[in-house]
Amino acid sequence: MTIPFLHITGLTKTYGGVHALSGVDLDIMPGGIHALMGENGAGKSTFIKCLAGVVKPDQGEIRIDGSSIVTGDIRASEAAGIVAMHQESTAFAHLDAVDNIFVGRELKRTLGFLDRAGMERETRELMDRLGETFDIKRPLQELSLAQRQMVGMARALSHKSRLLIMDEPTASLSARETEALFRVMRQLQSEGVAILYISHRLEEVFELADRVTVLRDGRHIKTCDIGDVDREGLIRLMVGRDMLVEDRPGREASDTPVVLDVDGLTLAGVFRDISFQVRAGEIVGLSGLVGAGRSELANAIFGIDRADSGTVTVDGKTLPPGSVQRAIDRGVALVPEDRQHQGLVLPLPVSSNLLLSVLGSPKLGPLRSARKEGGIVDELIRDLAVKTASASVPANTLSGGNQQKLAIGKWLAMGPRILILDEPTRGVDVGAKAEVYRVIRRLAAEGMATLIISSDLPEVLALSDRILVMRQGEIAGELSHGEATEEKILALALPLEVAAI
Amino acid sequence: MTTATKTQPMTKPLAASNFVALFRRREYGVLALLLITLFSVGAVNPAFLAAGNLRDILVAATPAIIVGCGLTFVVLMGEIDISMGASMGVLATVMGQLTSPAHAHLPVAEGIALTLALGSLIGLTNGLLVAYGRMPSIIVTLGMMTILQGVNVILMNGHWITDMPPGLRWFGLGRVIGIPVSLWIAALVVIASIILARDTPLGRRIYASGSNPSAAALTGLPVRSLKLFVFTLTGLLTAVATVVSVPLLSVIEPGVGSGFELLAVTCVVVGGTSISGGKGTIAGTLLAALLLSVVRPTLVFLKLGPSASYWERAIQGAFILAAVLLDHVARSHRRKADA
Repeated sequence: MTIPFLHITGLTKTYGGVHALSGVDLDIMPGGIHALMGENGAGKSTFIKCLAGVVKPDQGEIRIDGSSIVTGDIRASEAAGIVAMHQESTAFAHLDAVDNIFVGRELKRTLGFLDRAGMERETRELMDRLGETFDIKRPLQELSLAQRQMVGMARALSHKSRLLIMDEPTASLSARETEALFRVMRQLQSEGVAILYISHRLEEVFELADRVTVLRDGRHIKTCDIGDVDREGLIRLMVGRDMLVEDRPGREASDTPVVLDVDGLTLAGVFRDISFQVRAGEIVGLSGLVGAGRSELANAIFGIDRADSGTVTVDGKTLPPGSVQRAIDRGVALVPEDRQHQGLVLPLPVSSNLLLSVLGSPKLGPLRSARKEGGIVDELIRDLAVKTASASVPANTLSGGNQQKLAIGKWLAMGPRILILDEPTRGVDVGAKAEVYRVIRRLAAEGMATLIISSDLPEVLALSDRILVMRQGEIAGELSHGEATEEKILALALPLEVAAI
Repeated sequence: MTTATKTQPMTKPLAASNFVALFRRREYGVLALLLITLFSVGAVNPAFLAAGNLRDILVAATPAIIVGCGLTFVVLMGEIDISMGASMGVLATVMGQLTSPAHAHLPVAEGIALTLALGSLIGLTNGLLVAYGRMPSIIVTLGMMTILQGVNVILMNGHWITDMPPGLRWFGLGRVIGIPVSLWIAALVVIASIILARDTPLGRRIYASGSNPSAAALTGLPVRSLKLFVFTLTGLLTAVATVVSVPLLSVIEPGVGSGFELLAVTCVVVGGTSISGGKGTIAGTLLAALLLSVVRPTLVFLKLGPSASYWERAIQGAFILAAVLLDHVARSHRRKADA
């Protein structure tokens, strides 16, 4: 039995009162591949950022071989042999492989000049070890994604790393490139390097890992040998939590007219052949993993992006592709995921935000009228139960939940036909979530066709009459309110085994 | 185990690889344009290629070359500095007043040392406001430019400086081994800058930080200190440019340096440094500075009429737009190839 060399105890990190991590403990064995799993928002990324020194945990200790390392210092983590390959590209696209590997801790000759020859020699050695043969003097932007990944890997190895952290390294690789990466990972494993591996692909985890840890809501749920758990058990561990919201009976809204009809919508490399309908008074949930193409689909329906083929029809009339203005004219409203930057104008007063969608519309007339504007604003604030000192305070003084009500209310002023909500309760606390849900349900009861994109499974389950699940740019399946469970959604959302070539 | 060979076939990088390759070597494009201009004007009027004329063109280009070296690093970091012209005005006035017999009459060496120190201080202030005040550099240096323009009027107080001491004028008029002092200094600055960019950790970190600032942070690079450095360097080099160019004039008046910031920015951008950072070379800036300073004598030597040299600014401006347009086209080609 090998003995763990890395002990993590009580790692805790909060962002604005929300616990991203609370008291996570973990031991890592040398030469093991340890999978880290959890739903979106379970705290995986925060956890590895704490380990790598990118983020300083509020509490907790990381000890290697018994001695504690300084947290929140990238250099300290690297010096201790903990190196991360982050999900966001850490590549310097204009620079070549040599610079990418050594920048920040260059090899030097006398007088502090660069030892270019030495760095090139070491780069070649690293590339040999990884079995790569591309030109190390080409700028990274001219290399393939897999080659760039290998440069990232080489950078990590050059640190004499003892723990290599890989955050979804296969997300954008082809099957063949993935195989090559696995071969390298196994080789490193045999050299005694420990790997902490984050992936949503269960097949990969069962193929590679020897141990697995599940995080949920920032808490450590379970760590066990991979042999002690099966696919269903793992999904249950990732999901298993209590419903936060009261359920509502799903309705079969087959009698009401179709408001939104999406037919064969395709955007190359993002999503393919998406077809579905939303009827008046119906709430349709769009579920799937981050990166499945959900937000991109919403953007294409709303006209921010122009789909390559397929049509979007509202009330029987086809929308011209790529025109937000025409989509709005037909009554399509999108509340974006990033409401603070894209949904609201935070420094402006509540009233101005609520009037954004009707500025210059016939409803208000050509000149501003305090009476007309005030009437609309007061009505919206009352209807949505927005908690604000007055209509004239800046939007950024409101809480997250009330800001979200504003972002929805902004569209209600113009009387939309279809409301698309992208992650409507992200960053909203539990109490305010329930209020946002009430607003969404009331609008649906009044006949609004609603499409909700959410990574929060209990939320999708509680709100939706029907649930569409996207996987890698396609609709993997549809579940009715009655048959949907978190397990079924996740089973559809997780990527299939990489296709054999 | 076989050793890696560079001849191994690799994935075809981009459909538009030839096109992109052309712009990765913007220096060659600028060099070609420069040579074509020199030889075609020389063919029309051989006096254009006389040693004396070429030397004059080089001397006229030195301020832009020297400041362009510093500014290249600023732009590589994805920042900008437009305070150099106003800074040069103030530095000229201060240098003149420190050394002229009618004013402080300090020894020339002390006057120059204080001028260089003041230039660095101005750059340092820009750098502090950008790196630690987290303000956009265009705003910071616009503010600095306006302040310095005001300060220059106050300092000069209506009195032009007409009595620069001979020791100071040597920096403009003197020669060493037959070559003007300003050219020696410009050559020194260029060589040092090339070494800094290519052969020092500092230089490579500047490229990396400009190429991908968030990755630089994840790598633990000291991005703010790097910003501080590039702005301070530009301030120092503005003072150096002042020392070698102002003594060529017979008087120091309030117009010294006006519009110079735009010339320097033009050199950097035309020379192929990407305004979004991460890509560019000192050689490109040097060649662009030469190309831009050939414009005026070209117009004169072609004898296009008395108002021909009025076109100088219009032509320089066209170079900027053409350079930025090429960057944009190259980038969107790359994006398409990536998708």
